[in-house]
Amino acid sequence: MQRRFQDIELGDELPEYAPDISLSAVRSFAEAVGVGRVGRFTDHEQARREGLPGAIVPGIMSQGILAAMIHKWAPGCQIRKLDTVFRAPIVVDSQARCRGVITETEPDASSVDIDLTIVNEAGETRVLGTATVRI
Amino acid sequence: MALISIDRKWIGQEFDVAEFKVSEKGILAFARACGETEPRFTDPSHPDFQAPPTFTSKYVSRRILPEAFPDLGARGFDAGKTVEVLGPLRPNDTLTARSKIADIYEKTGRSGPMIFIVHRMEFFNQDGQPVSIVDWRLVRQPDPE
Repeated sequence: MQRRFQDIELGDELPEYAPDISLSAVRSFAEAVGVGRVGRFTDHEQARREGLPGAIVPGIMSQGILAAMIHKWAPGCQIRKLDTVFRAPIVVDSQARCRGVITETEPDASSVDIDLTIVNEAGETRVLGTATVRI
Repeated sequence: MALISIDRKWIGQEFDVAEFKVSEKGILAFARACGETEPRFTDPSHPDFQAPPTFTSKYVSRRILPEAFPDLGARGFDAGKTVEVLGPLRPNDTLTARSKIADIYEKTGRSGPMIFIVHRMEFFNQDGQPVSIVDWRLVRQPDPE
């Protein structure tokens, strides 16, 4: 469904999104960006040997997932800027949730700012972000 | 422990230029793995087929830091990335990426002092048009004394 700027209000929340961060999906991403052999992303055992709780989702995959969530909410929109803070690792094969809330609307530019988070199963924020999106 | 002072002369100095070729296969693999479902990112026959907006985040310059940049130790992590989208990326585009240090600043966290280095890559397409800017915040933690 095409989203119209005039229908968006400050404080609106994007539908919560559960990304696919299975080992298979993360391996596909790692291959796509040239880090397919980096064990901390693609191999739970190797990641544990490095002191991590398991394989972790690459930060730039989290960023790409947040962009995909915005596109699902507003098909055809133009993401002009996306800032992400990799606060803590997201473990592969866990159940993460992506959330977004409108924090600014700019009618002259048909643009909105969205605060973004990815939380883990315990509800802890792992990735923070802000997007500027032209609707 | 005192923070290591980094000379601000490093800010703004271009230290690397690299070229990257954008492929249809690369766009599709990136888009699908991120969960994109819009045809403009997933269907090469779409009239506006292009790379997802954060696609340039995947590119790494040949050097992470300028030659002769102070050794800050091995401890550190990737604190985040900001992507600014200036134009679409299409299959067969040839991108030129110019790297520089955009900022250096210090913070103290629970784990001690941290130095943030903002590595900026500015991407231009084959027509010289700016298409993307990626700021990568690298954190270095000085080795304990």
